[in-house]
Amino acid sequence: MNAPQEKSPIIWDLPLRFFHWSMVAVVFTAAVTGYFFEEWWLDVHVYAGYALTCLLIFRLIWGFLGSYYSRFHTFPLSRNGVVTHLKNLLKGKSEQHAGHNPVGAWMIVGLLATLCLLVVSGFIVWGGQENKGPLASLIGYQFGEWGEEIHETLAGILMFAISIHLLGVLVETFIFKHPIVQAMITGRKEGVSATGKPVSIWHSLAGMLILIGVGAAFSYWITTKQQPPMAMSSNETYQQECGDCHPAYHPSLRSQNDWQQIMNNLSDHYGEDASLDATTYQEITAFLNSQNANTFDTEVAHKVGRHDTPNQRMTQTRYWQKKHDELTETDYSHPDIGSKVNCNACHKDADSGRFDDDQIKLPKGVHS
Amino acid sequence: MKKVICLTAIAAAFALATPAYASSILDEYRNQAQQENPSFNGFSAERGKAFFLTQHATGKAETPACTSCHTNDPTQSGLTRAGKSIAPLAVSVSPDRYTDQRKVEKWFRRNCNSVLGRACTTIEKGDFITFMQTQ
Repeated sequence: MNAPQEKSPIIWDLPLRFFHWSMVAVVFTAAVTGYFFEEWWLDVHVYAGYALTCLLIFRLIWGFLGSYYSRFHTFPLSRNGVVTHLKNLLKGKSEQHAGHNPVGAWMIVGLLATLCLLVVSGFIVWGGQENKGPLASLIGYQFGEWGEEIHETLAGILMFAISIHLLGVLVETFIFKHPIVQAMITGRKEGVSATGKPVSIWHSLAGMLILIGVGAAFSYWITTKQQPPMAMSSNETYQQECGDCHPAYHPSLRSQNDWQQIMNNLSDHYGEDASLDATTYQEITAFLNSQNANTFDTEVAHKVGRHDTPNQRMTQTRYWQKKHDELTETDYSHPDIGSKVNCNACHKDADSGRFDDDQIKLPKGVHS
Repeated sequence: MKKVICLTAIAAAFALATPAYASSILDEYRNQAQQENPSFNGFSAERGKAFFLTQHATGKAETPACTSCHTNDPTQSGLTRAGKSIAPLAVSVSPDRYTDQRKVEKWFRRNCNSVLGRACTTIEKGDFITFMQTQ
């Protein structure tokens, strides 16, 4: 090892280092919330996704406007370079590079591409399936469902890519003794001669300005493109007549066919006589014919409402059961709940038919 | 003189504008009961109480008695099987009960069928309301 020479120049400018470590935090948050708390912490997951989007936009801009080693055109992506580097690795050698090494550079391209696709597919799921976010009014439920498949696949790819990235860092650090982690903290690589243009204070300044600009523009876009309210013309007669004994369930919870069955059997309505006079009967039937699971393009309409059950109970749908499988009879008999068909006890937005994940508030003492 | 007419008019207006109290529905049941049975000699809170507390179990299995949902104490809130609170049946606690005839008839129609498996007689309905007035 050479004795420490004069201080190495800054390879990684401050905005790039900020980007890198922010990504570590944000991706970690998104991965943990996405894999382990998909429902309960979906809002945190989405905020992480928003932050990720800003960081990625910044990085793409920085690939053209940043300091020398941050720019994409300086990445050593040539095939010869990669082949040489891999051959060297097999021989147990790894040449120290001022910026990324050829394999590392491809890793960055792969990571950035995967992350970009991840946030795009994330927005599609958020808008299509949950009917939230800037794409809510543009994307239908089915499209959101496909988006979720893609989002999950990409997340798997990302986890794999991150593992390889970390493996590369470990190998570089411990086998080849290249202090690349330190370089990502201080920006300097000791003992490397840098040929690129040096980093100046202007880079830090410009980088921070771009980050702030991107963040501001993104926040503006998100807040001005809020989700539309759900199209639900409420029917007062329905609300009154059907809301006496149980909550007046949102019409999207049952199909047109199931509603008809329910209306046909009102004199024996789940063990009680719930018959109506002729006028009321006709008005409610007409309402349910025009509004039901088949006319709403929401998650709950697709997953619960459109699945008919032997006696029209939504609690017998597979999705309902899967989503409530951690709750016990004791939970349902909690004084603030009373029964498993009292949706509003936990789903604060049940009346609107949205059933957003972040609107679930379990009463105190209920399993969580 | 004018003053007297005015006051009388105001008093009359108040009298006429008085909301239909439970008694008016009860009056109707009384008339009906008399027509149905000339030997009818008034409703009884005692009979109403017994009717309310009896485990009839002749209707639907889920609702053997009034008390299945309304609890044994009419001054307390009840609970539907779906978990929704029901306002107490006692007039002292829910003064606006038994004032809307359509509503009263609707719930007697439904609940008598659910609990008894048949329609209630006029005497049963009258006794029931009479009992609730004493609560």
